[in-house]
Amino acid sequence: MSDLEAYRTNASAWCESVVATFGKAARKGLTVEEDLALGRRYQKAKFDAGYAGINWPTEYGGQGLGHIEKITFEAEEMKHGFPNVYFGISLGMPVPVLMQFGADKEFVKERVVKALKGEEIWCQLFSEPSGGTDLAGLRTRAETDGNGWKINGQKVWTSWAQYSDYGVIVVRTDPTVAKHKGLTYFWVDMKAPGVTVRPIKLAGGDSHVNEVFFDDVKISDDHRMSPVGGGFSVALATLMIERYVATDSAGFGPHLDLFVDLAKELKLNGRPAIEDGRIRQQIARNYAMRAGLDSINRRARLMMQAGMTPGPEGSLNKLVAVRSRQKLSELALDLQGTDAFLFDEHASPKDDWASSWINAPTGRIAGGSDETLLNTIAERILGLPQDHRPDKGIPFNQIPA
Amino acid sequence: MSILYDEGQQAIATESRRAIEARISKDDLLPLLQTTGKYHEAFWTTAKEQGWTALALPEAYGGLALGLVELGLIAHQAGRTLSGAPFLTSSFGAAKAIELYGSDAQKERWLPGLASGEAIGTIAFASGPDALPAQPTATWAADRLNGHANGVSGGLFADVAIVFASTGDKPALVIADLSGVTRTAVDSFDNSRCIADLVFSGTPAELVATGDDARTAALHVLALQAVVTAHEQTGGAEALMEIARDYAITRKAFGQPIGAFQSIKHRIAELYGFVELARANAIHAAASEGSSDFITAAAAARLSATEAYDTAARDCVQIHGGIGVTWEIGLHLHMRRARSLALEQGSSFFWEDILVDRLAGDVA
Repeated sequence: MSDLEAYRTNASAWCESVVATFGKAARKGLTVEEDLALGRRYQKAKFDAGYAGINWPTEYGGQGLGHIEKITFEAEEMKHGFPNVYFGISLGMPVPVLMQFGADKEFVKERVVKALKGEEIWCQLFSEPSGGTDLAGLRTRAETDGNGWKINGQKVWTSWAQYSDYGVIVVRTDPTVAKHKGLTYFWVDMKAPGVTVRPIKLAGGDSHVNEVFFDDVKISDDHRMSPVGGGFSVALATLMIERYVATDSAGFGPHLDLFVDLAKELKLNGRPAIEDGRIRQQIARNYAMRAGLDSINRRARLMMQAGMTPGPEGSLNKLVAVRSRQKLSELALDLQGTDAFLFDEHASPKDDWASSWINAPTGRIAGGSDETLLNTIAERILGLPQDHRPDKGIPFNQIPA
Repeated sequence: MSILYDEGQQAIATESRRAIEARISKDDLLPLLQTTGKYHEAFWTTAKEQGWTALALPEAYGGLALGLVELGLIAHQAGRTLSGAPFLTSSFGAAKAIELYGSDAQKERWLPGLASGEAIGTIAFASGPDALPAQPTATWAADRLNGHANGVSGGLFADVAIVFASTGDKPALVIADLSGVTRTAVDSFDNSRCIADLVFSGTPAELVATGDDARTAALHVLALQAVVTAHEQTGGAEALMEIARDYAITRKAFGQPIGAFQSIKHRIAELYGFVELARANAIHAAASEGSSDFITAAAAARLSATEAYDTAARDCVQIHGGIGVTWEIGLHLHMRRARSLALEQGSSFFWEDILVDRLAGDVA
């Protein structure tokens, strides 16, 4: 058995050992607050078992292992529906960036360890009402205030801000230069005076995203994580971290097996739906597509194991998987006809077709919309020209609104 | 299973691309469309000289004992450049059928010639839309074959065919010596495929399997060929994606490259997705030869490769506008090939059913 196989076996055994305490069944019927509390205990258990910060340096409380071990663990973890969602952003982007760019090492270490134990949560304050994809067009501003800074403005779509202790934020510090040159990157205390968090209820009924308002929020200059005016490159670095996370060719919706089961149970025109050509075609097409993504991801893992950088085709995962999950979910509702009307707002998108359907649009927008991903593929991989950008090179305060 | 190509395999890809690109161009291929009974001789000579015909066959019969992964790499390059003859896949299918299901005497008789390329083989299973028909159009009895097989790719020049026939009320897989067979060339939209209608009239033929065994063997041979073809289709789709990309960068309209318009660049980015999914499935299927889920992997590879090539052909022409539909630019060579490859070895309907039967647990 290879070292990695042994690692996988151990990870799998550990996950199995905590299913009764933290698995899907244990979470059933909990309020969000109760689930978060359970999640914090789960995160602590991971930390104690050596499965938190798997590929982070040991000096920060990590395990000092490779990315391959991390995604190996995540692939095992994903099977059980553990309450880890509250820490996904926190440990995925803001905290790694803090490790990379935070100036005060003692402070950073304390934060990182608390985040790894689930005691503290970090959020990422990037998108704004005026734009998400156009990150550099943000309007929230920080002005000098004595030796420090004063922040005013509004962020939006901030995941888990209502439970966050800290956040990383990009703000405009100079409106007189081109838009991406006038930005600076800070961390902020989410409990500081002047910070107001207001949850946004989404179409599916849950409220994990928020509006965050900043009214004269004062921070000292030691919160700064980039040179003044150098915030955009740190923001890009944030978005580049974790490009190869554990992926799911089901687009974080139900597995295709569940659709096949449904088609075997239900009848269309008096015959099992699995015998209907329209249904068969969809099953076959979805299988081929998902098998392709699975193969891409297996090759990416092999390349990482071999010390190589995986190819750019990994960028297809979210684009292809979520889009097709949306259509397959619609089809699953079609199959059930009027029996599909009954709706459980608390059902999991991983095993409930209606939940998968109603939450699918979020997946196609968050973390890079389909259109943004297509632009990225076209420009970065295929070398096609950028879109026409009328605001290019123009000082931010002279861009026509 | 899934693999990374090793150095030797990468060398096969590079060398085969160099060899094919040096010997074949669209100017050679366009005239072949307008005549029947001709294929691109330089392509086939190259295939023989380079040992591609021998690649995936056993050493005992003059083969090189490599496998689907390596043959797939060559098929991919052939697909990029539009191969000038169908024999690489058709002979491979016939040879594998003989290797896997034939007697020692049958192997001795046919495999050395197929490995060297001196003999050409093909398969004749289909009847119209049925890739493995319930009622085959040829019947076998007492070492003789009667009936017909229509639309056989490579059939115009094949020396030997593996025929899916019937014997009594059971299916039969037989090796037919085509030397005395009556062949009529099919005037097709892709004439270098050398498609023929074959008439068997007391044609000498030896039985290799009957009943369920014949059907299982035939499906396995089709799947082996389908994986080779999936690589060829992926290569064609990849070439079209690159052609579309290059055109979108150079062609200007309204003061900018047309590739700066999202309606164009997103179309090409979508092609990238089709190509990479097809490639991933093809590699996985090639590496799965011999495993229990080979047929499933082959079906997935076949479906995504057909979709990739058809879509790329459609969209690449569309992105070119008027010039794209001209005879001279030759994009229609890919359009034609995308369709001929989609029909050989069973259409998407066939592979969808093969796949779903397995996913639904109706077939182990």
